[in-house]
Amino acid sequence: MTMKKPLLVFLFFLLAAPFARGEAGISVKDPWVRQNPPGTSVTAAYMVIENTSAVADELLSVSCGCSAEASIHVIETGEDSMVMKEVPSIAVPPGASVGLSPGGSHLMLEGLSGDIKESVVLELKFRSGARISVKAPVLSPSAAQKRSHSHHH
Amino acid sequence: MKRYYLPLAALVLIALVWFGILGFLSTDKTKFHGDEYRRPAFDFSLTDHRSQKFSLSDHAGKVILLNFGFTNCPDVCPTTLGMLGEVLDIVGDERAMALFITVDPDRDTVSKLGAYIPFFHDHIVGLTGSQQAIKQVNDACGTFYSKEQEASEEDYLVIHSPAVYLIGTGGEIVLRYPKEKLDPKKIAGDVKRLLL
Repeated sequence: MTMKKPLLVFLFFLLAAPFARGEAGISVKDPWVRQNPPGTSVTAAYMVIENTSAVADELLSVSCGCSAEASIHVIETGEDSMVMKEVPSIAVPPGASVGLSPGGSHLMLEGLSGDIKESVVLELKFRSGARISVKAPVLSPSAAQKRSHSHHH
Repeated sequence: MKRYYLPLAALVLIALVWFGILGFLSTDKTKFHGDEYRRPAFDFSLTDHRSQKFSLSDHAGKVILLNFGFTNCPDVCPTTLGMLGEVLDIVGDERAMALFITVDPDRDTVSKLGAYIPFFHDHIVGLTGSQQAIKQVNDACGTFYSKEQEASEEDYLVIHSPAVYLIGTGGEIVLRYPKEKLDPKKIAGDVKRLLL
């Protein structure tokens, strides 16, 4: 063992830094918010919620200083139609990751206090009691397109 | 030992050729990514986001990607518009065009669309018109839209088709892309082929 302990500890924190970690093994990865088009006051936020614990958890609510309202939505796709539906919570099973992504489940931000720029802070509340605060970058349409390629292909 | 090499080499060669043929046959280059959706040529007249009259028949010779949506839609509509912008960038041809037809003409006025559409791409055209005119375009595409029930007078969502429809150079609907087929590279491939 030639490696010094402080260095190991430093490396551990360096690796752990990108993940906003709450209690109970819940963490949030890759958060981002869609830049609202001019003249609109509604948009959506996306992320991956990971539960590394052995206990089921649930996202109960979200809030953002940037908007009057924030709610959890899923999309119901019919034969040839589609509608968003507000749901009271999203389950995060033990040992699983739940992705909130464009065209799927998402966090809807309504009544934006202005055009959002650079980043916003989202506060998430879970049934386990975990509260996670994440800084989500605001992405333009082309940046959002690039991101969807690097994450799905 | 040496005499075994020749038959072995021949066998390897035969195998390579065989797999080559199989591979070629399995990638059918005549097939479109979009679902074949032959519908006869049609026409409509609406108003674009620059306040100009827009008739489909004025754009014969172009390949047009059409989708429905509304500006108050937080997730699906901007996702599709971003995707269509990327298709136009990949195709890079003036004869390719994308249309966004509002299914919420009561709120989506020309000025609202004028602020909204250029945010996504310079070559996307936003269209609005009367409820009747917009319903006719939906009918021609074989789809529908309706205001969400149980919502208030000012604050509502609109249920609509998430699909993108491809209109060929003769004004007929050729392909339909359901939500799970909205892949910009593959749609761009179809558009390029139809522009050849």
